[in-house]
Amino acid sequence: MLRFTARRLLFAVPTLLAVMTMVFVLVRIVPGDPAQTILGDQASAEALQIMRERLGLDRPIWEQYLEFMGGVFTGDWGQSMVTGKPVLDEILRVLPYTVELTIASLVIGSLIGIPLGAWSALHRNQWIDYLTRVGSLLGLSFPAFVSAILLLIAFSIQLRWFPVISGGGRATFSEWALSLALPAINLGLIMAAYITRVTRSSMLGSLGEDYIRTARAKGVPMRVIVWRHAMRNALIPVVTVVGLYLGILIGNSVLTEIVFNRPGLGKLIVGALGQRDYTLLQGLMVIYTFVIVVVNLMTDLTYGLIDPRVKYQ
Amino acid sequence: MTDQTEALPRGVSRHPFVDQLAKAFRTNKLTWVGAVIFVLIVLVAIAAPLLSPHDPLQQNILHRLKGPGPEFWLGTDAYGRDILSRLLYGARVSLIIGVAAIGSAMVIGSAIGVVAGYYGGKVDLVIMQAMDVLLAFPALILGLIVVAMLGPSMENLIIAISLTAIPPFARIARAPTIVVKERDYIEACRALGYGDLRIMTLHVLPNVLSEILVMGSLWLATAIRVEASLSFIGLGVKPPTASWGGMIREGFENILDNIWLSIFPSLAILLVVFSLNLLGDGLRDAIDPRTRSDA
Amino acid sequence: MTAPATPAPVLDVWNLTTSFRIEGTWYPAVRGISFALAPNETLALVGESGCGKSMTALSILGLVPTANGRVEADGIMFEGRDLARLSDEEMREVRGNGISMIFQEPMTSLNPVLTIGFQVTEALIYHQNLSRAEAEREALALLDLVKIPSAKSRFREYPHQFSGGMRQRVMIAMALACRPKVILADEPTTALDVTIQAQILALLNELKAETGMSMIFITHNLGVVAALADRVAVMYAGDIVEIASVGELFARPTHPYTEALLRSIPRSDRDTAELHTIPGAVPPIHRMPKGCRFAARCPLAQDICRAMDPPLEPLDPESPHAVRCWVRGGHDLAALTEDANV
Repeated sequence: MLRFTARRLLFAVPTLLAVMTMVFVLVRIVPGDPAQTILGDQASAEALQIMRERLGLDRPIWEQYLEFMGGVFTGDWGQSMVTGKPVLDEILRVLPYTVELTIASLVIGSLIGIPLGAWSALHRNQWIDYLTRVGSLLGLSFPAFVSAILLLIAFSIQLRWFPVISGGGRATFSEWALSLALPAINLGLIMAAYITRVTRSSMLGSLGEDYIRTARAKGVPMRVIVWRHAMRNALIPVVTVVGLYLGILIGNSVLTEIVFNRPGLGKLIVGALGQRDYTLLQGLMVIYTFVIVVVNLMTDLTYGLIDPRVKYQ
Repeated sequence: MTDQTEALPRGVSRHPFVDQLAKAFRTNKLTWVGAVIFVLIVLVAIAAPLLSPHDPLQQNILHRLKGPGPEFWLGTDAYGRDILSRLLYGARVSLIIGVAAIGSAMVIGSAIGVVAGYYGGKVDLVIMQAMDVLLAFPALILGLIVVAMLGPSMENLIIAISLTAIPPFARIARAPTIVVKERDYIEACRALGYGDLRIMTLHVLPNVLSEILVMGSLWLATAIRVEASLSFIGLGVKPPTASWGGMIREGFENILDNIWLSIFPSLAILLVVFSLNLLGDGLRDAIDPRTRSDA
Repeated sequence: MTAPATPAPVLDVWNLTTSFRIEGTWYPAVRGISFALAPNETLALVGESGCGKSMTALSILGLVPTANGRVEADGIMFEGRDLARLSDEEMREVRGNGISMIFQEPMTSLNPVLTIGFQVTEALIYHQNLSRAEAEREALALLDLVKIPSAKSRFREYPHQFSGGMRQRVMIAMALACRPKVILADEPTTALDVTIQAQILALLNELKAETGMSMIFITHNLGVVAALADRVAVMYAGDIVEIASVGELFARPTHPYTEALLRSIPRSDRDTAELHTIPGAVPPIHRMPKGCRFAARCPLAQDICRAMDPPLEPLDPESPHAVRCWVRGGHDLAALTEDANV
C-alpha cells in the first residue's frame, strides 16, 4: 500500500510541474501591463517602473520562472497585488469553506446516487428504471447556478427555511449547518445525477457476470448478492468516475458560492479575475492543481481498497 | 447487428452511422423527444425577429419589473425590456456560441486525436500528455480564466469553450484510430502508396465519425451550460445583447422583487441542455457496443 | 417403471422445455426432454455447444434468466418435491444445499473482490446453522478435501492469486460444502490444461465415491465421458437423441449423430488426417427445420426424416438404450412412409 502511494505521488509530480508551467506562461501572455492595470491609466512612468520592480517584472523571464517555481514549493506564493497580503494566507483562509462544501456534496451525491443507481439497475426496463434515467439526465442538465437559484427561491424566499444570504457563518453549529445545507444540497443533487448513471451501468455490468450466477447457484440470498457480490465490483468504475467528476464539482462550486454568497475558492477566483490580481490568480491555479492531483491520488487509493487486484499489479 | 456493419470496408455502402441513427430513434422514444425539442428551439432562434412581440433592447422605465401579463407575456426586466423577446434572441447567442465552439473543438480535437493515434510513439505521447494536462483543469475554471484574460466577447467565449472541449474529442478520436490503422485495408492503402494525410482523412476519419458526432451532441449541451455560466458570472457577451446567463444574472440581482426574471431564462437553458442530453444519450446507447448484446 | 431392481432416482426430470424470447417470439432451446438420475450415478450430457446441455442444468436449478427465458416441465422431482413449482425462497434453499453446480469458467466464476475462504464459507452460512467460526473451520476442511496445498495460509487470498486448476478446486469445494445429493458439473475441465483436467476428473470421481452423490456431467468431450460416466445422454438441438449406458453407447452407437461424434474423437492410434468433422452446423434456435433437426447433416436422411420428428424410443422394449431416429430406431419405414402419404 505504501509503495503504491509513493509511486502514485511520483507520477503526480510531472503533471504538477506541467500545469504550473502552463499557469506561469498563461499569466504572462495576457495582453496589457499588470503594473498599468493595478495603478490605472493616470499612473506616472516612475510609479509604473517601481511597481514593475516590486512585481519582479523587470527581471529576465527565466529568473521569474525559477523564482515562481521555487516559491511554490517553499510556501512563498507572493503577495496579492490588490490587498498586499500573502497569497497563501488569502487562499488558506477560504479553502476550508470550499473543502467542506465539496465533501458534503460528495457525501450527499453518493448517498443518493449509489442506492438509486443500483435500484434502477435491478429494475431494468421497468418504469422505475425509466424514471430514474430521465430524472438523472435532467439532473445533470442543470447548470449549477440555475439549480442554486431555484433552490434559493423555493427554500429561502418562499418557504424561508434557510437564510437568503448565508455568508458561511460558523459561530454556532446550527449557523454552520444552515449555511452549508443549501449549497451542499445543490451540488449534491447534481453529483447524485452523475453517480446514479454510472452506478446503474456498472451495476448492470456486474450483475451479468459469471460470479453472480455462481453465488445464485450457492443459494446466497438476493439481497446479499446485490450488496456484497455485485456492489463491491460495481463500485470500482464508480470510484474512478467520481474522481473525474470532482473537476465538474469544483467548477460548479464557483457558481454555487456566488449564488449563496459563500466564501470559497470560487468567489476568490472571480474576484481576482475582476481586479486583475495576477499573483492571487497564479496561486489559485496552483491550489486548484494541487487539489486535482490530491483527488486523483485519493481515487487511486480508494480503488486499491476496493479491488484486491490493484495492489499487486 | 452492429458488429457486422463495423466490419464493412469503407466506401462500399452507406456509413454505419446512418443505421445507428435509425436504431437510436427506433429503440428509444426519448431520442425523438430530445430531437424534436432541440429542432424547435433552433427554429425559434432563427425566426426570433418574426416571433418577438417587442424589441429585445427597447427600454421602458414605466414597465419596470412587471410579472407575466397580457402585454408582456413573461414580464419585463429592471429596464422594462420584454423578457419573452429577450429569451428568443438569447437563444441565438447560446446556439451560435455553442455550435461554433463545439464545431471547432470537434474539428481540431479529432484532427489531434487521429494524428496522435495514427503516428503513435513519441508524437502520441507528447500530444496526449498535453491533452491530459488541459483536461485536468475543470472546464468552467479554464473557460473563466481564458475569457477573463482575453476579455468578454462572443469570439473569445467561442475560443475559451472550444479550448476546454478539445481534449475529450482528441481522446475519442484517438482510440478507434489505433484500432483502425492495424486493419488490413489501411495496410493496403499504404501499399498502394497513399499519403498519410489521404489515409487519415479518407479512411481513418470516417470510422471514428459516429462517436465524434455523438460526443458532439453531448458536448454541445455542456458548451451551452458553460456559456450560460460564464455569462452569469459576468463574462458573457456585452450588454445590452440578450444572453440567457446574463438575463439570469440580472434576474438574480432583482430576485427579491421579481422571481420570474430568473426563472424563465433558467427554464430555457434547462430545456435546451436537457433536449440535447436526451438526444445524445439515445445516440450513445445506439453506437455503444456494450449496450448491444443484452436484449 | 415398476422394475423393483432399480432404486428410486434422486432426480427425475419429466418433459423439460426451456424457451427464449427473441424479438417477441419464444423459441425452445431445450425441447421436452426427460431423464432420471440414480443414486451415486454419473450421467453425462454430451453435445456440441448450443445443443441445450448447459441450459438443461441451469433450468434444473432455476438459474435461467427470467427476463427472456422460460422453463416449463411436467416435473423436476427432487426429494419428493417438484423444483419447477417451488417459490424463489424454497428454490434458494435447494441451491448449493441439495443440488449444487460447478461452472465452466474458473477464471470468471469466482468473485474477484472476495476472498476464497469467504466464498466457500458463504455456502455453509446460508444453509447450515453454523456460527461464523464453525463455518470457517468447515470451509478450511473442504479446501483440504479438494487438495489445495497449504489451504490454511491461502484462506484469505483472492481468486487472482490462484491458478486455473486451483480455482476450479475452490469451485468444487464450494459445490461440495453442504454435501449435496446432486452435483451439476458444466464442462468443469474444458478451460484447463490437459494434465490439470485429469487431476480434476480424478478428484471428482474420488469425491463421488466417498460421498455417494450423483452427478450430471456436461461435456462435449467423449474422451472425458468414457473415463467418468455411468450413462450418457447425447443431445442435439435441444433434444436427447440417444441415451444408453456408457459401455453400450461406445460399443453400439446407433444414432448417426452419435456415430459422427465418436468418429470425431482424436485418437493417437490414428492418423490425424483421418479425423472426421461433421459437415454443416447446428441450425440456429429461431430457424429450426421441420422433422428431424439433424436431417440436414445426416448421411442417412430419408424423406420422412425431413417431414416428421422422430420419437425417442428404446431399441427393444427391455433395453435402456433409446434412440431418436427413424432410420436406426427400429421403425418400419415402409409402413410409416405409407401412413404419411395417406
